[in-house]
Amino acid sequence: MEHSGLLPNMFRKLLLLPAFVSLFVGIMPNSLKAYDALDAIRKRGTLIWGADQEGGGPFVYPNPENPEALVGFEVELAELIAAHLGVKAEFAQGQWDKLPDIMERGDIDIVLNGYEWTPNRAERYGLSIPYYIYELQLLGKVADDSLTSWDDLLQPVDGRPRKVSVLGGTAAQDYVEQFGKGAIDLALFDGATDAMEATELGLSDVDANLQDLPVWTFYGEGYKRLRPIGPAVGRGYYVVMTRTADTDLLKAVNEAILKALQDGSLREIFTRYRMWNETQAARGLETNSNGGFVGSLISGAQTQQELAEAEANSFEKSSGWAVIWQRGGLLIDAAGMTVLLSVVAMPLAVLIGLLIALARLYGPAWLRIPAAFYVELVRGTPLVLQLYLIYFLLPKFLDMLFPGMGLSINAFSAAVLGLAINYSAYEAEIYRGGIKSIPKGQMEAAMSLGMSKSLALRRIIVPQATRLVLPPMTNDFIALFKDTAVCSVITVVELSKMYYIQARSAGAIVELGLLTAFLYLAMSYPLSLLTNRLEKNLSQERRS
Amino acid sequence: MIELTNIIKRYEQHEVLRGVSLTVADGEVCVLLGPSGGGKSTLLRTINGLETFDSGTIRVGDVSLPAAAGPERELALGKIRQRVGMVFQQFNLFPHRTVLQNVTEAPIHVLKQPKDSAIANARRLLDRVGMLDKQNARPGSLSGGQQQRVAIARTLAMSPEAVLFDEPTSALDPRTTAEVISVMTDLAAAGQRMIVVTHAMSFARTVAHQVHILHAGTIAESGPPQQIFDDPQTEITRDFLSEADN
Repeated sequence: MEHSGLLPNMFRKLLLLPAFVSLFVGIMPNSLKAYDALDAIRKRGTLIWGADQEGGGPFVYPNPENPEALVGFEVELAELIAAHLGVKAEFAQGQWDKLPDIMERGDIDIVLNGYEWTPNRAERYGLSIPYYIYELQLLGKVADDSLTSWDDLLQPVDGRPRKVSVLGGTAAQDYVEQFGKGAIDLALFDGATDAMEATELGLSDVDANLQDLPVWTFYGEGYKRLRPIGPAVGRGYYVVMTRTADTDLLKAVNEAILKALQDGSLREIFTRYRMWNETQAARGLETNSNGGFVGSLISGAQTQQELAEAEANSFEKSSGWAVIWQRGGLLIDAAGMTVLLSVVAMPLAVLIGLLIALARLYGPAWLRIPAAFYVELVRGTPLVLQLYLIYFLLPKFLDMLFPGMGLSINAFSAAVLGLAINYSAYEAEIYRGGIKSIPKGQMEAAMSLGMSKSLALRRIIVPQATRLVLPPMTNDFIALFKDTAVCSVITVVELSKMYYIQARSAGAIVELGLLTAFLYLAMSYPLSLLTNRLEKNLSQERRS
Repeated sequence: MIELTNIIKRYEQHEVLRGVSLTVADGEVCVLLGPSGGGKSTLLRTINGLETFDSGTIRVGDVSLPAAAGPERELALGKIRQRVGMVFQQFNLFPHRTVLQNVTEAPIHVLKQPKDSAIANARRLLDRVGMLDKQNARPGSLSGGQQQRVAIARTLAMSPEAVLFDEPTSALDPRTTAEVISVMTDLAAAGQRMIVVTHAMSFARTVAHQVHILHAGTIAESGPPQQIFDDPQTEITRDFLSEADN
């Protein structure tokens, strides 16, 4: 009985285990459990709806008078639906193209943010009856006389295909792809207003923008250099999305929309946003037994032939690992872009960094102070902001400095420049440390031999410092590899962006995710090995 | 002719050099002795501009070095450094270059000598200091004495009118000290003008033409070694020599 004190203690701990485990299960994603979403919403007292307020007018956007509050027709719709369920609406911000994933994770109940009905989505999510019938409007530049119709889009200019900006992953993208059949280039944007802005500025050679009509109606005033081209096209449905399993919730959402349609409150909301039009009469209301909207009749496809094609192209659930063979090639191509961005940006960053470091250490005061400020400014601001400013502001600056020259910067150059500038600040600091750690006697010996300061730096100091800084810089190179993913905000499709695109369209988040991770590893691991070797060589050199 | 007149140098309030005057004739071996902190190294380093000075004049041949910073001083330094070499206590060889490259670096990139003749000359000098067999080694793999001999060859490659030696053996053990002293003695015998800051008394006694005792920023006594060592004229010299003997 000597252990009597110990054993009960252990038992007590074992008894605590289930309680402990249940704590984790309790916060597991809801989609993994049999669970009644509608019930949970009512118990919670809130309907959590996901949308992206970034560039989200007239859908969801900060109230101009009180930017802390949100307005938009979807805000009103969410409140209407929540009221029907007898709960309050609670907004959750999410990046637009990630909203379905956020919902699958169980963080939000519904997605209500201009998501179109498509056969693909109908396979994977519960889609409500439409709350709005949208159309797409082609926008061209007022100054561009060579583009006055849809047919003009098929004509190359200056020997290159026309380029149309669209919101990535939207019906507009599908529409341009189907219409162009490869003869039109696409520029993918994350925000609707970004796409219009880029078109107006002619960034990345963008000629036109295919925009959701409500967005154009709402924002058109602000884009005086854009004009609509041709009639509205590509009619489709905005629908509310739920998880597939949440059929009760979906049916309740349908009821709310139907009721609002019948009592005129839906019309009221859309009239306020100048969105109600005759197209709204062509509304489809048919649902399947799960409450899912049956929308294939007119969505995207205008003729019987197109309909047949659309069905042939329709979503194949590429389950399992076969998807890697189907889409792996695209990911590998995109990895090429990641490599290209990195190998062009990094040497540039090192070069700028070296110049900045030299300016800080040896420059005259009028150069030292701005150089120090540059480092702090660049290190103190996020890469994504720098990319944005370079991409959108630099062309405006160029236009101001050299009016009428049509100077601009394409997305790839902007990405390289942004990465190079961002990393140059870190490389400058590394180089500064490296140069400072070279013994003072080296510079003295060089000068006593009659070398000028610049010759001594070039022949004696910088070569020695470069050996010292190579390992940390190789480390930074690995970091830059991964940071290239941020460039997708300015339409550069690299590995991460391609992964998001393919994973979403194939529904193979895990399989393609693993492949993507493997590709990143395959690119960065050799660099890690190189760092190790450089470090080893350096320490040997120092010992001897 | 190297001529220093009334050199004054201050670190904040402290005067390190308090009006030093010194002349080194062509072909002369001049040794600066004195207790640590007396200003020997500082004085030496003002001559080729590694240290600034506050007033006085420095002339090297027909070049005069102004005290005030500016383009004139830079221009003068450019000329002086090509005529006056320096050997450091810590050797300061370039670790990323081979022994041979250390010696050819300045002739090729400063004097713009053709590569072939610079290499040939470097090999001759390395042979002279007994380091030719290590011409392809990296400085890091050499002993201190070997490094200092390479450093001497590196300086000689510029064919300097004078060489400044800044405690060239202080970082060496007795055996390697002897190697370096022997090279320096050969150089002196060949008529190389040099100014040497050292604690190696035997070198001063046997090789120097002029010895100066520097104490607290002034020259306490100057004269040929016979006078300094055998018949010192000042208390300071006597104190210094008796302390150095112990």
